[in-house]
Amino acid sequence: MGDEEKQKAGFFQAIKEFIYGVAAHDSARFALKSRASMEHLFILITMGDMLGVPILPPYYSLRLLPYVVPQISTWKRRMLREKDLTDALA
Amino acid sequence: MVPISLTKIFEQYPDRRYIMFGGKGGLGKTTFSAATAYYLAKKGKRVLVFSVDPQASLSDIFKRDIFGKGPTEIMPNLYAQEIDADRRVKEYQQEIRQKILDMYGMDKIPEEIESYIQAAAAEPAMEESAIFDEVVDIVVKGGYDYYIYDLVPLGHALYYLSMASVYDEWIDKITNLRQQMREYDQVAAVMRRDKEIDEDAILNELLYIKERINKSSGILTDKEKTAFFFVITAEQMIITDTIKAAELFAKFDVPLSGYVVNRVLPETLKQQEIPEYLKNRLVMQEKYLKIIDETFKDDILAYVPEMDRDVTGLEMIEKLATSMFGDM
Repeated sequence: MGDEEKQKAGFFQAIKEFIYGVAAHDSARFALKSRASMEHLFILITMGDMLGVPILPPYYSLRLLPYVVPQISTWKRRMLREKDLTDALA
Repeated sequence: MVPISLTKIFEQYPDRRYIMFGGKGGLGKTTFSAATAYYLAKKGKRVLVFSVDPQASLSDIFKRDIFGKGPTEIMPNLYAQEIDADRRVKEYQQEIRQKILDMYGMDKIPEEIESYIQAAAAEPAMEESAIFDEVVDIVVKGGYDYYIYDLVPLGHALYYLSMASVYDEWIDKITNLRQQMREYDQVAAVMRRDKEIDEDAILNELLYIKERINKSSGILTDKEKTAFFFVITAEQMIITDTIKAAELFAKFDVPLSGYVVNRVLPETLKQQEIPEYLKNRLVMQEKYLKIIDETFKDDILAYVPEMDRDVTGLEMIEKLATSMFGDM
């Protein structure tokens, strides 16, 4: 690739990113945020026992445990923290 | 008394391969399970009788220690099995631990996760679920003409049945949520022009659980392949409870094949010199047998006499099987 072509590609990449930033970034962020909330809801339903809320029979929730190991501590923090004014700004 | 028609049920419906005896505790479910297994085995069918009760008594009735030993041959064609729920739970816990270690390359389970694994195993429902799961294994594996479930007493049996439908609904809801999550994943991926997103391992796991549950609840409610019998005795409380239970079982779509009356005192006693106490029992029995007759009518399949000894060992089982099914 010549210098000129590289420059051109870089230019288009920049435009692509700019458009994504203007048009889609917020929506994508929103989708991911909703996704994260659902993830926590999901863990609550399946692993509720950990907080003292047994919902799914434990035999089968154990099957799911390995997949949610990394999320457990953030989930617990989120579920157990006190709600305050700053939540609205988050 | 009606002629023995239990045999007819088995001859008329050879497709009913899953046989269950239900009823209150201590009425003879295990005895009838063993005797039915004996009868079918004598007929040349390969039979597995297994207990879903954590306090199983098949070992006692066959006078063989079969607990946790897998299907054990009792006589030609007759195999018996008692599930060791405790061991199954332990092995299962270990399996989960190993999976976590492998997935994340850890060399120790995080403390919080470990305590959850241990707490989950202490749940009372855990044992039942473990047995439930093992039964699916047994049935899926196949290899027998007949499977005889030695069921737990009524209350537990209902729990066992309802567990299937409750699980099923839950799994449906969770699976839906998971699918919705996946849609959000896809939306984000498309917008960010990411390549293919990872397969959702959890969704697959949920679908697997659903399949397992459907398999066992499918058997419990399969009118073609399952025969469910109630064991009753000529006593007021037993009759009342059985009527209630039968209604509940019907709600869960359990195909009820009929009733077997156990512990019937021989009528011939009447002609003999017997103490007042026995006379009174006979009068009471007559009264309740009449009620049973009027209540369950043609669904009564056999009257089994009170035995003069404990039913344990093959010789007594044979005797009882003869009174259930006629001469073999």
